[in-house]
Amino acid sequence: MPKLPLTHGPRMTMPFRPPDRSHLILAFLGAILVAFVAGPLLYLLLRAEPGSLRQAFTDRELMASISLTLLAATAATLLGALLGVPLAYLLAGRPFPGRTLIQGLVELPIVIPHPVAGIALLLFLGRHSAVGGALGKIGLEFVSHVPGIVAAMLFVSVPILVSGSRVAFAGIDPHLARAARSLGDSPGRCFRRVTLPLASRGILAAVSLAWARAVSEFGAIVILTYNPKVTSVLIFDRFTSFGLEAAIVPAIVLLLIALAMFGLIRFLQPSIPQ
Amino acid sequence: MIRLEGIDVRLGQFALRDVSFEIPPAGYGLLIGPTGSGKTSVLEAIAGHSPLGRGRILLHGKDVTAVPPEHRGVGVVYQQNNLFPHLSVAENIRYGLAHGDLSVADQKARVGELADSLGLGHILERGVANLSGGEAQRVGLARALAPRPSVLLLDEPFASLDPATRFALRQQLLDLHRREGVTTLQVTHDFQEALQLGNLVAVMSEGRIVQHGRPEEVFRHPNSSFVARFIGAANVIEGIVTRVGDAEGADRQFAARFSAGSVTLDVIADREGLLNAVIHPEDIVLNHRPTGGSARNQLPATVTAVELAGPVTYIHLDAGYPLRAAVTSASAESMGLAPGVSLFATVKATAIRLV
Repeated sequence: MPKLPLTHGPRMTMPFRPPDRSHLILAFLGAILVAFVAGPLLYLLLRAEPGSLRQAFTDRELMASISLTLLAATAATLLGALLGVPLAYLLAGRPFPGRTLIQGLVELPIVIPHPVAGIALLLFLGRHSAVGGALGKIGLEFVSHVPGIVAAMLFVSVPILVSGSRVAFAGIDPHLARAARSLGDSPGRCFRRVTLPLASRGILAAVSLAWARAVSEFGAIVILTYNPKVTSVLIFDRFTSFGLEAAIVPAIVLLLIALAMFGLIRFLQPSIPQ
Repeated sequence: MIRLEGIDVRLGQFALRDVSFEIPPAGYGLLIGPTGSGKTSVLEAIAGHSPLGRGRILLHGKDVTAVPPEHRGVGVVYQQNNLFPHLSVAENIRYGLAHGDLSVADQKARVGELADSLGLGHILERGVANLSGGEAQRVGLARALAPRPSVLLLDEPFASLDPATRFALRQQLLDLHRREGVTTLQVTHDFQEALQLGNLVAVMSEGRIVQHGRPEEVFRHPNSSFVARFIGAANVIEGIVTRVGDAEGADRQFAARFSAGSVTLDVIADREGLLNAVIHPEDIVLNHRPTGGSARNQLPATVTAVELAGPVTYIHLDAGYPLRAAVTSASAESMGLAPGVSLFATVKATAIRLV
């Protein structure tokens, strides 16, 4: 009986080869970095004493901060998606005057230190600024209010959301939209039937990543809205007021939320080359 | 009918200039040219994906220059990345039927009809990710034809296929073209395809049409050294033409001498100076000994290579200039043609075209 090939289809199995000396050196250097990232997180998780997580559920201030964090991050992400996904679509399309400038502006928050962003937002949205004053008159207060948290989260997550969505749109072969148009689709219908379904996975990954970024934000929020406290500010507050031990449980809870989000993002990412 | 009237299209640094041609109703036209000559840009302009700087496009007599792509009634098949990856084969084919007033049953019937014609019945429910190149192009063709377009545009649909699949798909395409009666324009860089498929060919270079006409006409009478070289139909030799006789007849032609290096040929010319002599391989007669008769150009030559091409064999010669002659494969064998064999290549003065 003829032997079947060991591999079939596009996925190839590489035969195992013992690593050579140069690979061992590279692996050693990489292992130091991986240990540096994974070590502290594992160490923190291992500090969770039996019953301490159960205790967390009875910590009303912690539970309130988690609810606030999740709600504000969701609001910031939804607002960002509503405004950012159409912008990403424009940026991924045909060149237009000022495209590079706009792209640069929305990516700017990546390089701005977060406390600097907080100060800038405080000046821009504070009661004494024209914008903040006008919004205050219609009942939208930012400083020391929940909208301030949402604004800070939105500011820091915009680059991730817009860039990720833009890459998702830009990855679609333009022939597909042209084929759809020639098959009778108006531009809007073509967007609904072809472009959006094909970009949706990439957009969802960008939205999730932006949400995770919003959840983990501290630097801008702490300046704009110390109270009510999001979880990152609560951790800082417990650490500075009561010491390290008091900060561990909230830190573990926020880490678990981040890890769950990370798993979802890895699942949604279109394809990670093997 | 597809009619282009002096269209200009600017695409970044590249531009189409003054492109004009016409394909009659239910005709089959081919656009050929080297990579970057603007063939695909012409298709994009006809499909409505590139705005015109100048000129008009008429489809079946109607000026569609300002009509958006979705209302032009044009089916397009691209070379690759043609299918919607999030839809099944059947959903891809049915895509363009969603706009019409066909009932779901009629849509399914149309999908079934095209799937039968193109041998796709067994893969209708499959996704498109793992289709072979030939299957993917068949699905693309079925999808383009499903809404019964009045014009079909094909952008090198066979380019990435193996020869056997290409041959089979070409036959299916010809059958469908005959049955559906759709006016078709295909882009190719293969002149053999033009000879087999089309009843009009337009040769493009640097954004312009440099020659158009019936494929046999272009093949026999290329109007420039570029066309002759590009279609690979002929030997093209650059040289100097000098008059040796008086002009005669209505077209004022005269006997002349064509010189290129050590090669001198008697030719019939209508002008002097630097020109290209175009000699078709099948117009070169090979003999082991010099022959008499009216043929005036007899060049001693040595066989440098023998290229078997089915019933025809191309004999590559060194006659002071590289030449390619075509003989039947049976003749090549009986004459014992092989590299190193010395012989005489004869070509009539009237078979040499000067461009």
